[in-house]
Parts: sequence; structure tokens; C-alpha cells
Amino acid sequence: MTHSRRFVYLAVAAAALLVLGAAGLVSAEVRNPDTLIKAAYGEPETLDPAYAYDTASGEVIYQVYENLLDFDGGDLGKFVPLLATQVPTVENGLLSKDGLVYRFPIRKGVRFHNGNALTPEDVEYTFERAMLQDRSGGPVWMLLEPLLGYSTIEDLAKDLAKVDSFDKVPPEMLKDVYRKVDAAVEVEGDTVVFRLARPYPPFLSILTHSGSWSAIIDKEWAIAQGDWDGSENWVKWHDPKAEQDPLYDKANGTGPYKLVKWEKGVQIILERNDNYWRKPAPTKTVVIKIVEEWATRQLMLQSGDADIVIVDPPYLDQVTNMPGVRVLRRQPWLASTAAFFTWNINPDGNEFIGSGKLDGEGIPANFFSDIDVRKAFNYSFDWETYIQDVSKGEATQARGPIPAALPFFNPEQPVYKLDLRKAEEHFRKAWGGEVWRNGFKMTIAYNAGNDARRIAAEILEQNIESINPKFRIDIQAVQWPTYLQAYRQSKLPLFILGWLADFPDEHNFVVPFMHSTGTFAAAQKLPPELTQQIDALIEQGVSSTDPKVRREAYYKLQQVAYEQAIDIFLVDRTQPVVMRDWVKGWYPNAIRPGEDFYRLSKSSG
Amino acid sequence: MTRLIVRRLLLLPLVVAGASLIIFGLSQLMPPYQRVATFIRSPQELKSFSMDQLVKKYQLDAPLHVQYSNWMRELLSGHMGWSEVAKQPVWDAIMERFPATIELTLYAAVPMAVGGVWLGTQAAVHHNSWIDHLSRVFAIIGWSFPTFVFGLIFLMIFYGALGWFPPGRVSVWATQAMLSPEFKQVTRLVTIDALINGRFDIFLDTIRHMVGPVVTLSYLYWAQLQRITRSSMLETLRQDYVRTARAKGLDERTVIRKHARRNALIPVSTIIALMVLGLLGGVVITETIFSYPGIGKLLATAALQLDRTTVLGITIFYSVVLVVVILAMDISYALIDPRVRLD
Repeated sequence: MTHSRRFVYLAVAAAALLVLGAAGLVSAEVRNPDTLIKAAYGEPETLDPAYAYDTASGEVIYQVYENLLDFDGGDLGKFVPLLATQVPTVENGLLSKDGLVYRFPIRKGVRFHNGNALTPEDVEYTFERAMLQDRSGGPVWMLLEPLLGYSTIEDLAKDLAKVDSFDKVPPEMLKDVYRKVDAAVEVEGDTVVFRLARPYPPFLSILTHSGSWSAIIDKEWAIAQGDWDGSENWVKWHDPKAEQDPLYDKANGTGPYKLVKWEKGVQIILERNDNYWRKPAPTKTVVIKIVEEWATRQLMLQSGDADIVIVDPPYLDQVTNMPGVRVLRRQPWLASTAAFFTWNINPDGNEFIGSGKLDGEGIPANFFSDIDVRKAFNYSFDWETYIQDVSKGEATQARGPIPAALPFFNPEQPVYKLDLRKAEEHFRKAWGGEVWRNGFKMTIAYNAGNDARRIAAEILEQNIESINPKFRIDIQAVQWPTYLQAYRQSKLPLFILGWLADFPDEHNFVVPFMHSTGTFAAAQKLPPELTQQIDALIEQGVSSTDPKVRREAYYKLQQVAYEQAIDIFLVDRTQPVVMRDWVKGWYPNAIRPGEDFYRLSKSSG
Repeated sequence: MTRLIVRRLLLLPLVVAGASLIIFGLSQLMPPYQRVATFIRSPQELKSFSMDQLVKKYQLDAPLHVQYSNWMRELLSGHMGWSEVAKQPVWDAIMERFPATIELTLYAAVPMAVGGVWLGTQAAVHHNSWIDHLSRVFAIIGWSFPTFVFGLIFLMIFYGALGWFPPGRVSVWATQAMLSPEFKQVTRLVTIDALINGRFDIFLDTIRHMVGPVVTLSYLYWAQLQRITRSSMLETLRQDYVRTARAKGLDERTVIRKHARRNALIPVSTIIALMVLGLLGGVVITETIFSYPGIGKLLATAALQLDRTTVLGITIFYSVVLVVVILAMDISYALIDPRVRLD
């Protein structure tokens, strides 16, 4: 055989192997039977439950720590006891009729991973520590709002001291802050009592397993690590930097898994807690591997080295018919995306509004204050194309600010549909006909690399420009920091952003989407008469424990959002779940951060 | 030789300071409002503070020299800052990942250098023969193959289909074994630690995991090295002293090995050193594809996510590595070629 012929044969053999590899001819026997391996991307930020505010951290905390309550499987409207022995209700006397006092009897016989027994004092310490720590941008506003009526602990301190800066709060006043925090959560025998500043219906959701901010920590252990000592001198532990937080890479909970190692950038290894107060988990080891490259995750799934992998929608086709792999499509997820109109654009040095006038070369600062413009833009959007192109079907059209998975979502709420004839009607009426006569020019920015936002902008551009040749929309990619800055400063005429739920309650969506101080709505600069109406409805929804009153408020908010065409509500996202078919026990839950490994096991057949 | 080493060592802090100034200066091209976005951890923070407050909070409006001196002071006291992407201090992040990069360099550099030089030598010695033509094809393929394509194909065949060489650094069972108190982590290089602990199974497992990245890197570097070696060898073989050596009746093997190849290796050694330097800086694409936790992957992630602190920290660290490797390179010149007058 000549050398060149040998070379050809080698090439053919390599190609054959490639085809075999792509065909996924791998063994179907269960790999690593006592280890569950998930290949994901995204590094946890921290393992401190009070500090964590991202799903990667939340997933690890979920396995290691436990909360007072849990959801009943995937039912987000039903609570079951976890470290508490009962769910407070008015009927069982553990919830006061005015909705201000919640009592939680604490379970006995539960031990932390280090062997310490769970006590009511641990629960008290957990919540007081979290409120006093209150790191900037952290999740603890969810506890502070119901318990103390403030969004941050610094706001409370400033208000008590009547000063405009936290630095100016005198030490005596800081002790008063501690006393208020201490009074909000108290131990009475075997029970922990929460005293709320006002009725707050989502409170139980905030305390429930899935929210790391309410995961119970061991007081004695935390103090031994150098954390808050329980005294009134708390400022030293307030708003720590991540590296100063004593619990950022340690964990000691009561949960079914113990932390073995967090190998940063590589993996998190968890081991079964054999002394768990419930039946120990069926699988001995859990490994969450951080694998950023999709092709590598795919091969790990194919070879059986990963049992569960994160698959972004564009790649779903590649795993749909993979042997030995189960793909669960459209699993519920509390995440919504919208395109927000800025009703009163900041014109200072604004490159996104052209001339700043309605002269065909720009748009005026209050361009979107005209309802006909907003409606025309809504009728110009093609949801069907967007859902297919961007999400590969992993989304449904949003009907407003409240996602479909929540109880006070109105399924009968009308929505806008692509209708260029109606869009034209509204454009003709807008600004007394001036928009139609002069045309307009504006720029829609998106953060570079975000294809979903780019495609949404392109859909609007193509459809609106097809209505009238004088309509011109430019699309500009900008860096994420620029995008963030521009939207915050109300410089973007239209910005596209999404919201992932903190807790499964309507309040967690209507505030960012509609409230005058909301994350997105504040930048939109809605007119005062409208924000007053909206804020009052939001207050009504969150202040009452009566489902009828809440339903009425949230239905009305959805109606206002539609009638006023406040935004273009794009999609409620769902998520695909991809796993080997030997993984048993998976169940959907729209709020859970990642998997519930306690319920998962591996077996063939 | 001693003077050279001393001079180079004295230059080290200057180079590092220069590099730090350049990188710091580049990062300052972004206005404070853009830089503040790199510090923001969640939309909630934007709810609590205005942009101006955040700029003040993170001291982004301080004069440049103040910001720089603050950072340098921290650096000199051993604090490189907090890595947002690694979720740990920058120094810890580097120290955790650098052993993996060193290990990959160690295992990739030897086959890369030996294989590349041998192939290049063979091609030159057998000039215009089928060996030369075949090696040219080999080089062209290697040179034109993007790393990620070669790496992915390797993974698909040898991991996806055959299950021989998995990605990552070690298997889960090996990680667990290494976490046990009995296992002593002496060097942080897994293969060496495994042998020290008498765990040949872990050693083999690590080698299995390294085959993919090592073969990918070696092949692509071979392609370049063998072309450079070939050119250098061809030029050297035409020199008068080689003709003299042959005329003296020395056998061809001695002529090649003792007379020609040694001189031909001078430019090649520079290339090898630069390649090793590249490997030590982390090989971003290969590390990403093979999920190999080295320093290159960290740097790429940090740059993409505008983690200024991490980028600055790695750059400073890499500057030191660079100076050390260049120093070693200069010393190797002196060893290879006594004509080089260093003093």
C-alpha cells in the first residue's frame, strides 16, 4: 500500500468515526449510577443565603439549606411545612386576622450538617442578620418591605435619624435600628413570630423554599465564621463586599446535601446528608459542572457523563432526537420580556432621537406620550415570528405585566396582534396627522450580542418602515453598560428588557413593570395622573389578604396596561429541560432555581 | 551571564509598572457612567442609587492618579481586588487556575517542540521527497484548521463516539479522591500530586483528560514549527561549514545532528519560547472547548464581562511571567550559540 493511499484510508476512517460520533452510538447503561451530574454555565455569586440573588447561587443553596416552608411540588399557590411544622393561616390561629402577625412553630429533631440542633433562635438570627446585612443590590428588600416598611435598612436608619445620608446616622440611632429589627422577628418558646409593618400577602411566598434569602442558617456556626455576633453593634457587618462576607464560600444547612467543594470555574460537589431529618436523598453525590461551551455540554449529555444539561433554545433541535435523552419542552418559568416606551425622553445629547423634532429627521422627546403612536407600534409587532425565531417556541405571547403562571393573571385580557392596517390607522391619527405627513426617524438600541433584542428591533423596523416610506428606524448595537446607562437616564426611546421573578406573586411583576419607582417603569417617565392611578392599584393589590380585592386590583392593572398600551408586552418565557432518560423524579416548578436534586434518582427502564 | 540575569531582573518591575499603566489607561477610556455598570450587580441596585451616587460610591470620579495609586497600593500590599467573574479574590483566582495552565503547558510543550523540530528536520533533509510533500500537506492542514474546529472534531470522535478522552481536568471520582484528607496536594499539578500520593489511577485519568487539549495544541503548533524548522534547516544545510563537514567524511547523521540542526534551532528556539509563552498565557479556545480550567478562560470571561479588576490583575501577573520566560529565552540563546556575546 502506498503512503498516499494509506493517508486516504485514514481520512475515510476518521470521517466514519465522525459520523458515528455524531450519530451518538453510546452505551445506554446508566453511567455513574450514584452521582447526578448537571452541566450548566454561570458561576454562583456566593453561598451566603442572604447575599445570593442569582439562580446559579440559588440552585446550590436550595440543596444545602432549607426554608420554613416549601411549595407543594410545582403548585405555587399551595404551601407545605418544611422547617416549620405548620403553615400559618387565620384558621389555625398562626396568622392574625389583620395579616400582621405570622407564627411559625419550629420543627424539633433537625440538625445542621455540623451536628448542631436547629432552634428557633437560629431562625430569628437568620432573618435579623439578613436585614442588617442588606447588601447593596441584594435580595433583602423582600424581607425589609413587609417587616419594616422600607426597601433598605439604610432608608430606615436615615428616616429615624432624619438625615439624608447613612454616614450621618448617629450611633444611638443605629441601636434603634437594631431594636426595630429585633422586634420584627422574635422567639416565643418553640415558635418564631414575625410582626409585619403592614399586611403583605406575598410574605409566605418570600419565606418559601426557592428563595435563598429566607434559608435558615446556624447561628452558632455563623458567628464562629466571623459573622454578625447578634449584638446591637451591627454596622461592621452591614453591606459587606463579597470577599468580606464570612459565608460567601462556606455552607452549613439542614438540607439533603452537604457542600463538599466549590471549585470555582469548574464545579460544585455536593454529598448526601445521611443524617437528614427526612429520608436521605436517593443519590449519593451531586455535581454541578460549569461548562460554558455548548458543544462540550452536548457531548457530555450524549456520552452520559452529564445527566442534565442546560440547553439554550437555538440548540434544542440538536438534542430532540438524541437516543437516551428526554427533552421536556415549554416548562413553566416566571420570566417576562417587554419593549418599554419612554414617554418623556431625556433629550440632552441624545443620539437616539435624531433632530429631536417631528420634522422627518427625528422624534420629539414626548413622542410616545401619544397613545396612537404606542398602539401603532403594538400593532406593528409580529409575535409569531419573534417566538419562532428567538425562542424556538419556548415562549408565549405576554398578555400584560403578569405572567400566565400566576393566579391573578387574566386569561381573557385582550392583546395586540400584528395588524399593519390598524397600525397605519393609528399612525395617521398620531400627533394630529403630523407623524404621517412628516414621517419620523429614531434609533432602537440593543446591547451587542443579544440576538433576541436585535430581532425584536428588526421586526419593528421592517414592519413600521413598510407602512410609510417616511418612517425610519435605525438599529444600533451598544455595549451593555451603555445600554444600561442610557435606559436609566431615559435616553432610549424604546428599550427591551426582561424580568425573572423573585417570588411567585403578581406584586413582583407589577412593581418593576408599572410602579413609578419600578426598575423599568421609573425610566419610562409616565405622566403623574397615570402613575397615581397605577401606584394606587399596586398598593391595593399588596395591602389586602382578600383574594377578591387582589384579583380586582391586578385585573385592573392588566387592563390599564393594555388600554394605555404602556409597553409592547413581548413574551412570557418557558424553559426546556433536557436530561438523560435514566433520570427519574423530575417535576416542574416555575420558581425553583435549577433542580430539586433531592427528588432525583437514576435508574434504567 | 550573571550580569544579563541581574539586568533582566532589574528590568522586571519597570516592565510590570509600564504594563500596568497601559492597561489601566486603556480601561480609563470608558467614562465613569460606563464603568459604573461593571460594578452593578443587579437592577435592584439601580433602584436604590442614582448613577451619580454609584460613581461616588465606587470612587470612579476620583482623579486618575488617585485611582491608579489606590490600585497600585492595594496591589503592592498583596490585594489584587475582587474578581466578579471568578467570585473570589483575583490572586486566588489566578493561583487556582495557573497550575492547570502550567500542567497543560508542560504536557503540550514537549510533544510540540520535539515533534515539530523532528518533522521539520525530516522535511529539510529529505527536501522535495514524498516526506517533504506529505509534511507540507500536514502543515497546511494544521495551519488552516481553526482550533475550535479541530478541537470539536477531536471531541466528537474520541469522546462522543469512542468515549476515550473526556473534557475537563479529572473525573468526578478522582476529584472526590483528591478531596479526601489522605490525598496530599503538594504541587497542585494533578499528575505529579497523583504520583506523589501513589495514585496511578488518578494520574492516568488526568492524562486521559489532557490528551484532547494537548493533541489539539500540539498539532497546530507542529504545523508552524515544522515549517520554520524546515526553512531554517534548508538554509543551514547550504552553509559552507556543512559542506566542509561532509567533505571531511563525517556521516550524514552527525552532520545533521551536530553541525546543522544546532544552528538551525536558534530561530526555532525563539518560536518555541513564544509558543510556550502563549501556552502559559492560557489558550482560550482550547480551554473553553475542552472545559479546561486554566487562566486563559478566566481572562477571556473577564474581558467579555468587563471585569476590569481581573483583567488588570492577570495582565500584571502575565507581565511577570513574560519577563521571566524572556529571560530564560535569552539564557537559552547563550547555551545554544556560544557566539552570542551577552556580556
